[in-house]
Amino acid sequence: MSGAAATIGRDVGRILEALGGLMIVSVLVTLAWGEYFALPALLVSAVVPLGIGRFLYRRYRSADAPGRLHGMIVAAAGWLFVGLFGSLPFLLVAWSVELGVPIVSTPQQTATLAAFTNPLNAIFESMSGFTGTGLTMTDDESALPRTLQWWRTFSEWVGGVGVIVLTTAILSRPGSGSLTLYESEARSEKIHPSVVSTVRTIWWIFILFTFGAILTLWLAGMPIWGAINHAMTGLSTGGFSITDNSIATYDSVAIDFALIPIMLLGSIAFPVHYLILQGDLRNFYSDLQTRWVFLYMSTGSALLWGLLYFAGPYETPFAALRYGLFQFVSAATCTGFQTAVDATNVAIGRWPSYAQLTVTFGMFVGGAAGSTVGGIKIIRGLTLAKGIRYQISEVFYPESAVRRLVINGRRLNDEASSREFMEAAIVFVLWVTFLVVGTFVLLLALPADDYTLPNVFFEVASAQGNVGLSSGITGPDSLPTIGKVTFLFHMWIGRLEIIPVLVMLRTVFQRGGLYA
Amino acid sequence: MNLDDLPVVSQVFESGADDRVFDSLLLLGPVVIVLIVLLGRSLLTAVLAVFYLGVFCGYVVYRGATFGS
Repeated sequence: MSGAAATIGRDVGRILEALGGLMIVSVLVTLAWGEYFALPALLVSAVVPLGIGRFLYRRYRSADAPGRLHGMIVAAAGWLFVGLFGSLPFLLVAWSVELGVPIVSTPQQTATLAAFTNPLNAIFESMSGFTGTGLTMTDDESALPRTLQWWRTFSEWVGGVGVIVLTTAILSRPGSGSLTLYESEARSEKIHPSVVSTVRTIWWIFILFTFGAILTLWLAGMPIWGAINHAMTGLSTGGFSITDNSIATYDSVAIDFALIPIMLLGSIAFPVHYLILQGDLRNFYSDLQTRWVFLYMSTGSALLWGLLYFAGPYETPFAALRYGLFQFVSAATCTGFQTAVDATNVAIGRWPSYAQLTVTFGMFVGGAAGSTVGGIKIIRGLTLAKGIRYQISEVFYPESAVRRLVINGRRLNDEASSREFMEAAIVFVLWVTFLVVGTFVLLLALPADDYTLPNVFFEVASAQGNVGLSSGITGPDSLPTIGKVTFLFHMWIGRLEIIPVLVMLRTVFQRGGLYA
Repeated sequence: MNLDDLPVVSQVFESGADDRVFDSLLLLGPVVIVLIVLLGRSLLTAVLAVFYLGVFCGYVVYRGATFGS
């Protein structure tokens, strides 16, 4: 194997080892709930990635440290394999129940669990979990065994911070390479000079906030198992639920409002959380992204509230505020919890088109870079807006004028501002291109007249932005195979901000002779 | 034996915001949650949860108020 492949193999092996470790930890939940029928499936699921990962790591242990190209390929391949191998618990538990497990009692098969006997559905669920998307192949989450409810939650919780961040934190090795991998997972800001120290602090903050979120939801009235799961998926802005109608199941104003700050915490960058915990509370307004998280969420929620109350389906200002505020924050933080469903009020898919598009715009932008959210990120949106203004205003200045573009307190010269503007524009163009292509594919794949263009656009934006809100398209039966494959791709590129996936595909095609 | 020598505790102390109150909250979090799981919803567990969140929020504000002094 060549040097590059050895480096990639070694680092992907580390990621698979970490994945196997997560599955072994999850055995505790299986034992705690007495779901012994799931034990063999979970152990086999753990052994496979652990064995492959261990083999790859030992075989290529002495490979070179990754460069930028390797880092991007490791990130793209790592997330792809985590999605694939992470599907094993769904697949094997579903088949365990289907076929029956000797000695221990096995529950009756349910339609919800039976959906995972199809490997594509299992992979979809796993990829949706690890990328923090939250679109699901389950009809009724409450019918799932606790082991799988936990695995869905755990995958989102880990995926929210990042599997590479986890790998770096617990399987860190001395020497270079960690920074490259850290940056390849769409992160750049560091808390400490050392990357290993940075990722350990990120996990420290994340775990502390998780405990706080669990207790908040429990105090708001949620049962403890629900509080644990929803706190983990809310803080990681993943949005998987353990109930049939997401958060609408509880139909509780207190729970709705308790979840809003939890989702907001997940959309603020970890370095800012660190500074706030140090006592520097000014970061709530002095940090550009954090300030805009609040400005953007407030403005979007106010707009959605107005649309839903004055021209939409809700009759009281409070009902419009409750559902509008929650759904906009849920969308813009890329969480995807749903309170607007037909069982309790009016489902998002039946909201007026302009209200759906407002939520879609929220998903498109997302929260702060360096947090757990998806979307193009606020900093990119601001860079584009400021860059466009800078480029247009150039005409009004003499050629000799020395100008600086100021972004988040940094004064950029012409060269630096052009570079940052170009990077943001490239991601933006790619994002929109894939969004449009995905919408076309879905329009062709879905039965004609079943869904409107806003419905389809909304669902594709939700998959690519790793949000998970649904206008009703995603489901084991309602979404055709081509749609599931398309969404798998969208979730994957959305989590990695597209470029690493394109780099990996280009490399694969180039090596395979398909790309000159 | 020093607290810092314990395996999990030492890692918690090494990471994070370098503050013993937050470190303690991180270590006590699972204990409070396990108590809630075992004892269910009662006045005692509710008071514990409120106390935990109160200390967390109050200490963040306190750190902010005394920052730089």
